[in-house]
Amino acid sequence: MGIVLKEISKSYDGRAVLKNLNLEINQGEFHVLLGPSGGGKTTTLSVMAGLTEQDSGSVSIGGRDVSNLSPDKRRIGFVFQDHALFPHLTVFDNVAYGLRVRRIKGHDITRKVEYYLSKVSIAKEKGKFPHQLSGGQKQRVALARALVIEPEILLMDEPMSSLDAMTKETVRDELKSIQQEIGVTTVYVTHDQNEAILLGDRVSVLNNGKVEQIESPSELFHHPKTEFVARFVGIKNILNVSPIRINNHEAAVLINNDGMEHPIRIRVKKYPVFEKGKEINLCIHPKKITLKREEETYAGDLNRIRGKIVKRTNNGNGFMAIVDIGSTTLHAAISSDFKVHENVWVCFAPDAPHPLCGKKCREPEQQRKCFVTTQVDRLKAEGC
Amino acid sequence: MKSLSFDLAVSLIAGIFVCLIVLPMLALFTTTSFGELVCQLKSPLVLSAVLISLETSLAVVFLALCLGIPVAYLLAMKDFKGKEILDTLVDLPICMPPLVAGLALLILLGGNSKFGGMLSSHGIDLIFSKKGIIIAQLFVSIPFLIKSARDAFESINKNVINASLTLGASKFYTFKTILLPLAKNGIYTGMIMTWARALGEFGATSMVAGCIPFKTETMTVAIYQNAMSGDLAASTAVALLLLVFSFTLLLIFKSRVRVQAG
Repeated sequence: MGIVLKEISKSYDGRAVLKNLNLEINQGEFHVLLGPSGGGKTTTLSVMAGLTEQDSGSVSIGGRDVSNLSPDKRRIGFVFQDHALFPHLTVFDNVAYGLRVRRIKGHDITRKVEYYLSKVSIAKEKGKFPHQLSGGQKQRVALARALVIEPEILLMDEPMSSLDAMTKETVRDELKSIQQEIGVTTVYVTHDQNEAILLGDRVSVLNNGKVEQIESPSELFHHPKTEFVARFVGIKNILNVSPIRINNHEAAVLINNDGMEHPIRIRVKKYPVFEKGKEINLCIHPKKITLKREEETYAGDLNRIRGKIVKRTNNGNGFMAIVDIGSTTLHAAISSDFKVHENVWVCFAPDAPHPLCGKKCREPEQQRKCFVTTQVDRLKAEGC
Repeated sequence: MKSLSFDLAVSLIAGIFVCLIVLPMLALFTTTSFGELVCQLKSPLVLSAVLISLETSLAVVFLALCLGIPVAYLLAMKDFKGKEILDTLVDLPICMPPLVAGLALLILLGGNSKFGGMLSSHGIDLIFSKKGIIIAQLFVSIPFLIKSARDAFESINKNVINASLTLGASKFYTFKTILLPLAKNGIYTGMIMTWARALGEFGATSMVAGCIPFKTETMTVAIYQNAMSGDLAASTAVALLLLVFSFTLLLIFKSRVRVQAG
């Protein structure tokens, strides 16, 4: 069953948490709601479940308008961040609870509960109480409890936030394979980009009560449409610029709010999104930036901006300098001999900046990325 | 050195407190012998007072459960206009002197008031009856159950309740199968406190029900009546019995608290 949210708004004490939010989730899809804390993810999930009543807008599940239905009438399964197991009931009784509510016969309850407990690999613990289980085991029980009632949609609110890294990886893999096997439409809330990449068929980035971008993980991480999404998915260097001259191959742009006298040149031939005077965000991968000392010879075709190194870090793969260029800072991959407080030229080729337009450009993939090693690439490289 | 003198001072003050509590109780024990105590407890008047007290206080616990649990649930789970007022009303009987409560009930339920007259015309006489005792005891003791049950409901993780709702349970089913079992320790504690308060109630009870032997004379009223009429032996016997009740209830309460904490 698919889910459609139309024009959902919700305020708490006059503070708008959701602002005319629209979202369509396809049947059988594993949809991830990604965003920072306070972005409206949990409220969106809560509105879908009927635990929070929206101020306006409608919620449909499988074409059925459930906007005014209470949670018990929506045919949903919900996995909570803190597991929310019933502390006075055993694992078996926790999972059987939803079936007993539906007055299912005793032997059917036993059969179903045991099936789902085996599916989440927790059958051996069926006689234990929640306080006797580890975090990962509690999570499995919570998942079995939500699945056993065979819901039309499965809603999960940061279910792995309290698990350690190793357990998280195991539970994540199991969750993905169970979801694919059962085919239940799933909405998964997280602020963890890795989870979004690895679990989601599509990802919605929520910010300030609105959906900023809905995309497949790969598209989202390679082609963020907004500065917020870009920063949230880990892009460091973002310049807000206004083109002042455009020709077929190049544009001259001024970095906004920078007070720079000289424009920088960027290659625009393959990007149809540039318009004179229209602000646009550019991102530059740290490895495409070269730092040169003030006295070094100026290489004519490179853009250069005067800056000062304010911080130097070693991230394990090499050194990274954070350079203050006036209104903002830029990250640059450097050799180890640069020092903090050193005045430098930040240099980059005209084809280094990539516009945050969200549209596919016609470059070969390797060249069009804003950054060479994205999260997706890194995780792929790690065999995930 | 200074810290030693401070510890000594604190210990001395604690000693005064212990004397304040223990000496009056010892005085009770020393004024009677065991044989006399047994003899007094066998007297019909004392036995009647004990029975009336037990009967009315247990009825109060039952009524407090019926009235108090819904109020506690409302205060713990719902936001509504007038919640502050309801909350204050719950606290009011604790702060109000029992004699004032008794007087208010006497005026309301007495034959001279419209309400009392209306009840009387239907054959319901609450003044100078066991029903009057129950109402007076309920008035002063129900806040203990409400407050304890409310705290217990509030301590339940809201997501556990939401989990029940998302699993298809109605609010009543959730209340019955999740909220009540999880709040049971708090409710038990409230019941014990309510019973203890009802058992020891004197001011409001004597105002509403008077001191009619074999009819409305509760243990506390009997203690007062016997002491005032010079029968210290009977007064002491009932007082000691009440002390044993209170001590036992307190022990049960303490053990429950320990279980909850454990």
